[in-house]
Amino acid sequence: MIRLEHLHKSFDSHDVLKGISGTIRHGEVLAIIGPSGSGKSTLLRSINLLEFPTKGKVYIEGLCINEKGVDIGKIRAKIGMVFQQFNLFPHMTTLENVIYAPLKVKKMSRKDAEALGKTLLDKVGLKDKFKTYTPHLSGGQKQRAAIARALAMEPEAILFDEPTSALDPEMVKEVLNVMKSLAHTGITMVIVTHEMGFAREVADRIWFLDEGHLVEDSSSQDFFTSPRTKRAKEFLEKVL
Amino acid sequence: MDHSVILLDFERIWPSVPYILQGVQVTLAYTAVSLCLGLLWGTFLGLCKVGRLSALRWGASFYISLFRGTPLLLQLMLIYHATPQLTGYTISIWEAGILTFTLNSGAYIAEHIRGGILAVDKGQMEAALSLGIPYPWIMKDIILPQAIRTILPSLVNESIDLLKESALISVIGGADILRRANIVASEKYLYFEPLIIAGALYYVLVMILTFAAHLLEKRLKTS
Repeated sequence: MIRLEHLHKSFDSHDVLKGISGTIRHGEVLAIIGPSGSGKSTLLRSINLLEFPTKGKVYIEGLCINEKGVDIGKIRAKIGMVFQQFNLFPHMTTLENVIYAPLKVKKMSRKDAEALGKTLLDKVGLKDKFKTYTPHLSGGQKQRAAIARALAMEPEAILFDEPTSALDPEMVKEVLNVMKSLAHTGITMVIVTHEMGFAREVADRIWFLDEGHLVEDSSSQDFFTSPRTKRAKEFLEKVL
Repeated sequence: MDHSVILLDFERIWPSVPYILQGVQVTLAYTAVSLCLGLLWGTFLGLCKVGRLSALRWGASFYISLFRGTPLLLQLMLIYHATPQLTGYTISIWEAGILTFTLNSGAYIAEHIRGGILAVDKGQMEAALSLGIPYPWIMKDIILPQAIRTILPSLVNESIDLLKESALISVIGGADILRRANIVASEKYLYFEPLIIAGALYYVLVMILTFAAHLLEKRLKTS
């Protein structure tokens, strides 16, 4: 379970997050949406402390992680992340990308790690790309490999930071399909996305952010059929 | 006989050529060993410069400015002559040379390494952090391999500089190419010819190094 308490984040004098509180339950699929510049990515990146909050607290399984003395590496190992720009390691093959962290962080044996890596790459449809260096993959393949890399740590939650925004349109679907197959398998998913159709179909819950505030926190169905706030209504009218 | 014509008398020094040639391995040994050690030392300094500990950052910066801000010849003489005076240890020419060239090239290499690390996309660090990989491994396995690739051309230039600068070892008596050429010169009272031979040897070595670097770069690009 992930809980945020009065989260603030400022860059110099610019306030990006202005006091966000909320809870993300186990196994839930949460989509964070909102206009650009509303703080969605910053909020997502605060969950694994890639952005360190200026004020407020982040709790993972009841433990406040933005306090001194917390081994953040251990926490991050349990929370996967998928980036807009994929961020695969270009000097490694697809399989090496996937098994590096299990080998080094989890101290898995090479045999087990490779077996796990191959299973995961097979699952995301990259069976024939084990030995391909990642710069030679297409955008969609890169993002699927990145998802496999995150899954290889057997995380309890995965954070998706606009995972399809850097993709050519014809590759969006293959990535969304992989994400769909993960939803409701027990893994918690927090997704910053502009894909409203996907959010509506797959997410259990929506967080609507605007200017650093969590304006609406409602079930996916409620949000898309009857948004409570004027800002959400206006936003939906523009994007749908 | 017309003495106004300058004659190059290579025949007289011909028997001494093998002696000068033996200097090639001496020069290469100084260059190769100092380069390897300098690479390690420079990588350490470069890591200090991009690290979070301000004491290490400042220490590394000060060190680099010292070694880049004073003549290499002065550093060599200081290390060769001051070490026995200060510590009582009689430092050999070989040790003094390797130590000086390592400390000096480390300072230059550190700046390249720092630049290379900063040039690696910051998403690489974020992806690695998000997997829970500890910082030292991120540097060793993820960031440095990519950084080295981008700074390979400057590292080759560094090794070429080092090869040429290793000639300074002749000042404190190291029997490298230049020193041997000088010995032959003073034996035969012929200066131009042995020095020309020494120059040609350095030139050939630098060309070989340049060519090898080209091949290496090409291979890295395709892989």
